[in-house]
Amino acid sequence: MTPRVLVIQLARLGDLVQTIPAITAMKMSHPDWQIDLLCPRQLSALGRLVPGISEVVPWDGAAWHRRAANAEEEVRAEHLAEAGAGIRAISEDLYDRACILNQHPRAFLAGALLARESVGAVSGKPLNHKLSPWAEYIRRVAISKRSHHVHLADAFCGMCGLSPPNDIRPIHLPPTVFPTDLEPIGQSDGDWIGLLVGAGDQERLVPIGVWERLIVECLSIRPASRVVLIGDQHEQERAHRIQGALSPLLLGRVWDTTGRFSLVQLANLLARCRVVVGTDTGPLHLAAAVGTRVIGWYFARARVHETGPYGPNHWVWQAETKEMDRMAAIKPTQWPIAETIALLGDAAAASVEDWSLWRSYRDDLGAYYVESDHEPIEPCERAQIWRQLQPLSVA
Amino acid sequence: MEYLQHNLERLHPRWPALAMAIRESAGNVLTVTPSREGAPSAMYQGQWVHSAYDPRTEARSWAEQQVGEWKRGELGVILGVGLLYHIEALAQVIPHDSRLVVVVPNLCVLKDALGVRPLGPWLDTLTWVTGTAQEMAEQLASHATPLRFFTYGAAARVHAEEHQRLEASLRRIVAAQAGGRLHVAVVGPIYGGSLPIARYAVRALGELGHRVTYVDHSVHHASYQAFENYRDERSRLTVQSRFADVLSLSTMATIAEDPPDLVLAIAQAPLSLAVLQHLQKKKFLTAMWFVENFRHLTYWQQLAAGYEYWFVIQQAECMDALKRAGATQVHYLPMAADPVVHHPITLTGDEQQAYGADVSFVGAGYANRRRLLPQWLTKEWSFKLWGNEWDGATDLSGVLQRNGARIDTDTCMKVFNATTINLNLHSVSGMGLDAHPDFVNPRTFELAACGAFQLVDERSLLSELFTPEEMVCFRSPDEVPSLIRTWLKDSGGRRAYAEAAQRRVLREHTYRHRMQDLLAAVGLHQPDRIGSILRGERSATELQRRTDSATELSPLLSRFPPGQRVELKDLAADIRARAPGRELNREELLVLMLDSYRGETRDLL
Repeated sequence: MTPRVLVIQLARLGDLVQTIPAITAMKMSHPDWQIDLLCPRQLSALGRLVPGISEVVPWDGAAWHRRAANAEEEVRAEHLAEAGAGIRAISEDLYDRACILNQHPRAFLAGALLARESVGAVSGKPLNHKLSPWAEYIRRVAISKRSHHVHLADAFCGMCGLSPPNDIRPIHLPPTVFPTDLEPIGQSDGDWIGLLVGAGDQERLVPIGVWERLIVECLSIRPASRVVLIGDQHEQERAHRIQGALSPLLLGRVWDTTGRFSLVQLANLLARCRVVVGTDTGPLHLAAAVGTRVIGWYFARARVHETGPYGPNHWVWQAETKEMDRMAAIKPTQWPIAETIALLGDAAAASVEDWSLWRSYRDDLGAYYVESDHEPIEPCERAQIWRQLQPLSVA
Repeated sequence: MEYLQHNLERLHPRWPALAMAIRESAGNVLTVTPSREGAPSAMYQGQWVHSAYDPRTEARSWAEQQVGEWKRGELGVILGVGLLYHIEALAQVIPHDSRLVVVVPNLCVLKDALGVRPLGPWLDTLTWVTGTAQEMAEQLASHATPLRFFTYGAAARVHAEEHQRLEASLRRIVAAQAGGRLHVAVVGPIYGGSLPIARYAVRALGELGHRVTYVDHSVHHASYQAFENYRDERSRLTVQSRFADVLSLSTMATIAEDPPDLVLAIAQAPLSLAVLQHLQKKKFLTAMWFVENFRHLTYWQQLAAGYEYWFVIQQAECMDALKRAGATQVHYLPMAADPVVHHPITLTGDEQQAYGADVSFVGAGYANRRRLLPQWLTKEWSFKLWGNEWDGATDLSGVLQRNGARIDTDTCMKVFNATTINLNLHSVSGMGLDAHPDFVNPRTFELAACGAFQLVDERSLLSELFTPEEMVCFRSPDEVPSLIRTWLKDSGGRRAYAEAAQRRVLREHTYRHRMQDLLAAVGLHQPDRIGSILRGERSATELQRRTDSATELSPLLSRFPPGQRVELKDLAADIRARAPGRELNREELLVLMLDSYRGETRDLL
């Protein structure tokens, strides 16, 4: 019988995209396995694009909230029955194995409810679990704010007992229809530069005036370039304010797409850009996954070593703090505008005070980031971590 | 006339006595006037009871808004009769198996309604309650199902006072029946007169069998007081206000750790509007017992919309003001006594000597007291004045005890018990008696609970709480000396009054009664949550009774003692406690999954 495996990834967009190497590696190691993906309902359309997945089963968090609210009012047999039906709707039969990639009790419980055994972030029973060595490693790095030598996406591979895949290809996108007025994006020559106007977190929002300066300078220095404003419906107002600050002459070269694309369309849009700049790590990961170069601005609590886009040749500007307390959110006072524009032209970027610049590489042990004026690090250090955490994975 | 006859005939088979009584009533309370659309509308004292344009459409839209609130098994109770358009509309949108009761405080209004238009078969589905407030409350309570009130404001206005009385009666009945166990977080003030009230409320709730978390901010008093030392008033106010904000946040942290069913703040509790709004957003139920004179302390204006329930010690004017400021539910809840603290004590000879006098007054030196008390000093009787804030009151220095030091509750009780006549003069900032003598202060109840005789200044709300055989009042300062003279001579009369007042307090005016009343009021408005808990419907026994023994829930419930309240979180906690070393079954995992989402709804900070 074909073994049925359920990969459980209940976190956000960025984590789902970073699950792709693990699923790729799993499919390469076990071509006969049926691998299903359990992910949040709102991401399920994107989950279906992940290569190697047989079926995407959506996790309806809103429905669970409703059920919990009802049961909280008065616990009744029908509440349990309804919750049971919700689980059965995912799968009538138990999976042979659940690969749990989140360190959240809900993911552990979902694994226990849906599969005969669970591996990944935890081992043991749902209430008596033990974090796996890889999950411990990720937690330690997140708490200590030390450098990740092993990328999160590769650690996901480790959690599944696999080494990173040799080859990571951009995810294959189905043809998508764009709104007519936005169809020309990326279809003509010239630099199409995607700009993520918003951020998942309020403290990671770049001031409107900074984006305005970046656009003005970029369009004047790079005459053949065009800027595509990208974001969801909540970011439309920011996009309007950015455009409101631009001269009418420049507006013809700025394309506002905010709030007009589904997730799959967004993936297509990102693929049509030559470079994507921004702070919102979810879409940055997605851009990297569709094969577009990324220049990330990481500040507040974002750290390149925790959430740097996966794959080679991406750039991340990391805001640094001189304060002793590295747990505090970093609020930059100046921004790497001209230096980012230099990177768009593949020129060397000058250094910027209070920012460091990191470049991504990839080898047999996965992806990693190195500061721009340093040589790529030898694989031996990362190999040592792999040996410690997963002795059989490294020759 | 033709319509009335037709409608009474429709009513008669099920409600013969009611049909008869309506026929005999006078009617003519409402002024019936055609609406723009043509259907009859009505006015009462110059105001529309239904829409002047289209009463049917307006009633339909009201009914559609109401029906969403309705939970299965609840009995809908309509307040407001009018021309019955709204009742017709509601009867047509409610689920098939639901029942509606119409409260009819005045049959004349119903007669007007039955006389203006022919009514259809929906009339047969209604239940009517009539009579006095107490009779109607008993009829409603006899249904033994949760009540869901639907108030049609414009028509209910006609019977506002009767509805208030009905609710008070119903609260008493519900309070007496209540058996369930709530978890109440009582948020106390940092200091001041409402601090002991918070403690009495905590004790009363505990005695009633509820679980109480007391958020005691008096532990921060010393720090708060330390800020008094700033010379610059602006600095002091800023720091004290920020400090109160921190305490407000700390209240939220305490609540987050063990979410209660009800957050009950006592006046002066440091809870900011922002925190209250956040609590509301997170579905916490909040109530404030504002044991203050709303005319003197006006911070209620900023907080009115922050609490879902306000309980106040004053009536109409105060309640209207709060509603205008944004409060939705305002209820009258007078002060009380705590018999654990306020009770008769036997004094030693020395104590009688130290604390006793013919006449005593205990309290702070407000302006009206400074002006009036000297008028009542005479060589005819001994007089002792106890309390603080009497600096500069030279004409009282001869009777002021302990140099005007603040006295504690124990001393207070000894003075009450040792004194022949206790004066009870409500404080005001003016010079004479209170110009708005409405609420009754806690001292009235405390003295009565001690079995002590008192002379109290007349209050408009006193007669609802004590009869003239229980309390002696004075209406002007001039009456006081003669009253003292009279009652000093009549020890038997004093005893009779004091004992009658004490019996009344113990029967009706303790903090237990108040807390029962408060919870019943909240329960009436929250029949599916607080009401359900108070009715004991969350106990293991009751849940088990309603659960088919074949279902997976049954074995989980059977682990709890019969009377214990059981909720989702309790089931989850029990499963977690038993988890080590064993395999959890599917039902247990489902409970834990549901509980993981429940926790998120209360993710406060």
